[in-house]
Amino acid sequence: MAANNRTTALARRRTEPAVERGIVSSHDRRRPSVRGSLGALQGGLLVTLVLVGLGPILWLAKAAVTPTQDTLREPLGLFPTGVDWANLSTAWSRAEIDHYFVNTLIVAVGAWFFQLLVATTGGYVLSVLRPRYGNVIFGLVLATLFVPSVVLLVPLYLTILDVPIVHVSLLNTFWAVWLPMGASAFNVLLVKRFFDGLPREIFEAARVDGAGPFRLLWSIVLPMSKPILGVVSVFAVIAAWKDYLWPLLVLPDPENQPLSVRLPAIAPYLELDVFLAALAISTVLPIALFLAFQRLFLSGAGLGGAVKG
Amino acid sequence: MKSAQKRAAFALVGVLSLAGTLTACGSSEDPAAEPTGPVTIEVSIDAGLEQAAIDAFDERIAQFEEANPDIQVETKEFTWSGTTFAAELAGGTLPDVFPIPFTDGRALIERGQIADVSDLVAELPYADQFNPTIAAAGQDADGAMWAVPIAAYNQGLHYNRRLFEEAGLDPDNPPATWDEVRAAAKTIADETGQAGYAHMTQSNTGGWILTTETYALGGRIVEGEGEEATATVDNDATVEALEMLREMRWEDNSMGASFLYDWGTINQDFAAGKIGMYVSGGANYPNLFTQNQMDPEEYGVTVLPLEGDDSGTLGGGTLAAVSSAASAAEQAAAVKWIDFYYISKLTDQEQAVAEAEVAAETDQPVGAPALPIFDRETYEQQQSWIKDLVNVPLENFAPMTDQMFDQPVIPEPAVATQDVYAALDPVVQAVLTDENADIDALLADAQTQVQGLLDRG
Amino acid sequence: MTTLSSPLRTTTPAQPPSSSGPRRRARRTPRDWLRDGGLSTLIIALPMILVFGVFSWFPIGRALVMSVQETNLVTTPEFVGLDNFVFVLQDPLLGKAVANTLWFALLALVFGYPLPLAAAVLMSEVRRMRGLFSALAYLPVVVPPVVAVLLWKFFYDPSGTGVFNTIAGWVGLGPYPWLQDASSAMPSLVLEATWAAAGGTVIIYLAALVGVRTELYEAAEVDGAGVWRKIWHVTLPQLRGVLFITLILQVIGTSQVFLEPFLFTGGGPNNATLTILMLIYDYAFGSSLGGNYGAATALSLMLAGVLAVLSAIYFRVTRPWSS
Repeated sequence: MAANNRTTALARRRTEPAVERGIVSSHDRRRPSVRGSLGALQGGLLVTLVLVGLGPILWLAKAAVTPTQDTLREPLGLFPTGVDWANLSTAWSRAEIDHYFVNTLIVAVGAWFFQLLVATTGGYVLSVLRPRYGNVIFGLVLATLFVPSVVLLVPLYLTILDVPIVHVSLLNTFWAVWLPMGASAFNVLLVKRFFDGLPREIFEAARVDGAGPFRLLWSIVLPMSKPILGVVSVFAVIAAWKDYLWPLLVLPDPENQPLSVRLPAIAPYLELDVFLAALAISTVLPIALFLAFQRLFLSGAGLGGAVKG
Repeated sequence: MKSAQKRAAFALVGVLSLAGTLTACGSSEDPAAEPTGPVTIEVSIDAGLEQAAIDAFDERIAQFEEANPDIQVETKEFTWSGTTFAAELAGGTLPDVFPIPFTDGRALIERGQIADVSDLVAELPYADQFNPTIAAAGQDADGAMWAVPIAAYNQGLHYNRRLFEEAGLDPDNPPATWDEVRAAAKTIADETGQAGYAHMTQSNTGGWILTTETYALGGRIVEGEGEEATATVDNDATVEALEMLREMRWEDNSMGASFLYDWGTINQDFAAGKIGMYVSGGANYPNLFTQNQMDPEEYGVTVLPLEGDDSGTLGGGTLAAVSSAASAAEQAAAVKWIDFYYISKLTDQEQAVAEAEVAAETDQPVGAPALPIFDRETYEQQQSWIKDLVNVPLENFAPMTDQMFDQPVIPEPAVATQDVYAALDPVVQAVLTDENADIDALLADAQTQVQGLLDRG
Repeated sequence: MTTLSSPLRTTTPAQPPSSSGPRRRARRTPRDWLRDGGLSTLIIALPMILVFGVFSWFPIGRALVMSVQETNLVTTPEFVGLDNFVFVLQDPLLGKAVANTLWFALLALVFGYPLPLAAAVLMSEVRRMRGLFSALAYLPVVVPPVVAVLLWKFFYDPSGTGVFNTIAGWVGLGPYPWLQDASSAMPSLVLEATWAAAGGTVIIYLAALVGVRTELYEAAEVDGAGVWRKIWHVTLPQLRGVLFITLILQVIGTSQVFLEPFLFTGGGPNNATLTILMLIYDYAFGSSLGGNYGAATALSLMLAGVLAVLSAIYFRVTRPWSS
């Protein structure tokens, strides 16, 4: 049970200080030699993490407001001829980062909506309503877990060009990104397992009170499912923000492209300082989100690199 | 942006109404629409333009719409690229009028993937006046012109005049033999620390430039035509060209440190003053100026040195094609646009001046020389109409313009051109990044590959 | 460990607790179905059925069909048997792409496997500011991958004033060609990919380390074990499962690598960074005159076959933890 585990993990973390012990025992920790070397190692690790993890990002922040020639001649100098704030506004307007930023948001929000919609309704049907055809569908959904996305690249692309039954082309529409992202077996599974763990008695009681399936979903199940919805949301938004190859294929019109697709395309036409400013701007929001929802991100990451597959 | 917001709003609509809203997003045109009444066409505009260039384009659209009140023109950013064109073509996302390189014209025509506007084109007053070799790129086997040549180029040797001066070379007297190119490259590299001679290698451009160098040394990549076409990749001239690159790269160390250039990135580095010389289309200047903000005073261009029998300058160009999805009315409007925007400035004094005035007002290059698509006379006449408006340093183009009409122009390989170029990219990359690259072995491999491409047609 | 169990149980869908009466009825009329809320159930199931049907099941079926067809969207698709597979297997670039992809995977393991483990073990011993450590380690993962690649592409500037070459110059090394050389291009790609992904691995290990049963440390201490022996005999054995999972996931992930070679080098120099997915992309979208979709799908399916075996191992190995 994903979310239960998550909550227990969180609970455990909260109570950690009281019972915690690691490889080094509390007794050893009090020995100066152990404390010294452990401290040195951890200090070293901290410095390394700052240099490697934070360093490139800080460099980007610096380069974003440094004139091109300074960045080229002294890439590691600190503002040899001063700060050039205009880079940011030039990137924002001339490189139309604002436009592509909005596109990125649209892609992410839509992808989030459809992933959540499919995962919650799907998980609800499979776990709570359980129609007779449920097992077949569940099997089919599970089967897609074993199909790597690379297999779908070309046939899915051709499907987008001519959607079966309705025969329209979704190319250059955001639907082409949103809908395929909705077909995430991992999300359906995650949500279904969570719903499986909810107490059935509540559902029965609600049914006795005359709640139909829609009411039950909206008023009972969803409010109880905030933790898992949070996890799915984080995965959904991150995945949409990071995606490159798929939007590159289905959004060839620059008008609709998100930043990830647009940045490499405009790189040859931008002056270096403006380009680096554009990169920096594109990084701000994800980092801000991360800092704001750190715990959600980290517990989501701990929950499994399984999304990678 | 507006449509983007609209689509975002759609997201809030439940999935049940999906099918309904989807159709609203699909762009299905009825090709059999009546050829009367107002019509809207979508035309291409280069990617990544400066605001001034976009203003100039908009101004031309306004003029066109005034002359053709029934036609509305919308723009769509489009720059042809070998890796995305097929997808855009298949996806039907191309604008109604779009540029394609000469190399793709014949194949697209044979497969009927662009609109057959030959009847409309035939009515244009200058339809039979195109330079025949150039016209052929846009014609089907029977000589009907489906796509209109709008620009032609011969390859040129572009050089940075400032770097020439810094290296103590005379920018008005650029290299005239390949030995001089090599010597100048070494001087530039030694004196300025920048790349003396840089080479494109990526996205089919490596093959394009290698073919150019081969032609300049008297060789061919493919001999014969049609069914008879045979790969001759391992010819002596290509070996010589690669050998020269190897020496410049590994003995002179005059080719800089970047060996993964494509058309966009090499222009960028050249405009930024990091490259002394490189080979590219002779009409490259407007791109360098409008997309990469090159300083006009630093720009120089000359003809390629030609050595050996049968040597010549590789020439190609751009065709304006009309989308096969365009209705009859849109096709007619599209041809009018091609006539107005791309051609009339070359054949009609009034239009030539009007276009040049708009460009000059918005600080866009006027009068940058190019290979004429009609005869030399038409070209020189056109240049004389606008000579008062010319704002490019013509003297910097003199080494090119003084000599280009004396050089034989050789068209690009006719079959599967871009694929042939793609097969040659790794060869160039290998020579430039591996000191021990075996040129003969590389060419033998490429020879087999290219022959395979030709056999498949 | 517990945090990882959720995706792992998937092969054994839990049997629903026995259903209530009406569902067991042997014969049901459409009216019964309606009365039992069958229609609303179907409506609620519709988003899943439609989205999966159109964008997952249909394309999967289509992939199988396309792999035995010659199709380029222009001419009518034509059945060609196994020709596409033969074409792919005879392509001299295939061997190169497979070798490059394996090389990428191997390098990714060498760079990205032991270091996060060591970092996680060390971090698990941190008493204060563990949040800070985790945040710092995870930060690169948050940077959009395209931005990371474009930024590192600039870092890899081969001239003496490139960022990395300047740093190397401080200790008297370089300048290195980085991406501009067939032998160093791939390691450069992997270095960036590791930077971008290692934080996630660290967090996974860290989560797993929380679950290590600490009483075993005490038992080991009673036996007089030092720190290294405790790590070797207590910590690592308990992490065996998660180590194997990350290994498989990493191999599955790296076998589909595309972004780095596509944006860094375009597969060059001289195809030194051409990966399988790039080859698939080239088949399908590389030619301006129409894709070889059949060959692209055939290669995709072959890759999928290999990955399916790996996935099967993954699920097989992970099953014990879910029970």
